[in-house]
Amino acid sequence: MGLQRCKFSNKNMSIFERKKAIKLSADTAMASARKGLTCWSRALISNRDRPVPTTTRRASSACKKIVKRSRRIRRTAKCGAARKGQITRSIAQCLVRKRTQILKSLIPGGEFMNEVCLIEETLDYITSLRVQVDVMRSLASASARASEPHN
Amino acid sequence: MSSRRWRESSRTNMSEEQITQLLSTLRQLLPEIPHSHSHKASSAAKVLKQTCNYIKTLHREVDDLSDRLSQLLATIDADSAEAAIIRSLLT
Repeated sequence: MGLQRCKFSNKNMSIFERKKAIKLSADTAMASARKGLTCWSRALISNRDRPVPTTTRRASSACKKIVKRSRRIRRTAKCGAARKGQITRSIAQCLVRKRTQILKSLIPGGEFMNEVCLIEETLDYITSLRVQVDVMRSLASASARASEPHN
Repeated sequence: MSSRRWRESSRTNMSEEQITQLLSTLRQLLPEIPHSHSHKASSAAKVLKQTCNYIKTLHREVDDLSDRLSQLLATIDADSAEAAIIRSLLT
């Protein structure tokens, strides 16, 4: 319904404005389908008019530095296996923390969720995104067929 | 005091178990990696990385499809029969 309203309301829309409207409608439709049952859908609808924050690369580059540093430590250290195990565990914990932060920035409303809620919301969000992609693909192929010249 | 600590630690154990279970469900939802030779359980860090990459891929697909749709819809005359068909698909 949102798509229909946006598509045909303004013939003078630029391609870019039309694309924004289509994307906004698709996201609103996807979120509305959850009927307020999930945090991400409520956050998506309430954040509709706010600019989306871009994910920073700082988290992943900081993680790469930590992994490089630990490889250097492992190469030069003459300590026993217990110390190496400790380093491996702390690297794993650091990676999990950094990647959890990235995931929180990808899921709408994710920054307010605890770990269990975040993973549950992620499962639902991924399922909904897949459906969104399928619907848009069907629409695109229907539109492509409609715009072909008749024989 | 000790019973409180026990309660806190049992709560932590429960949520760790819950997280492990959720992560394995998440792992099943992600696309298979063709070069992955390991059949044992992936670590939490790997699952999180694959999840983030998959979500970014889906976002990019939605973006590309929005692009494609905006170009296609621009070429369709709003009053034509084809537009009516598409309208009926959406309601």
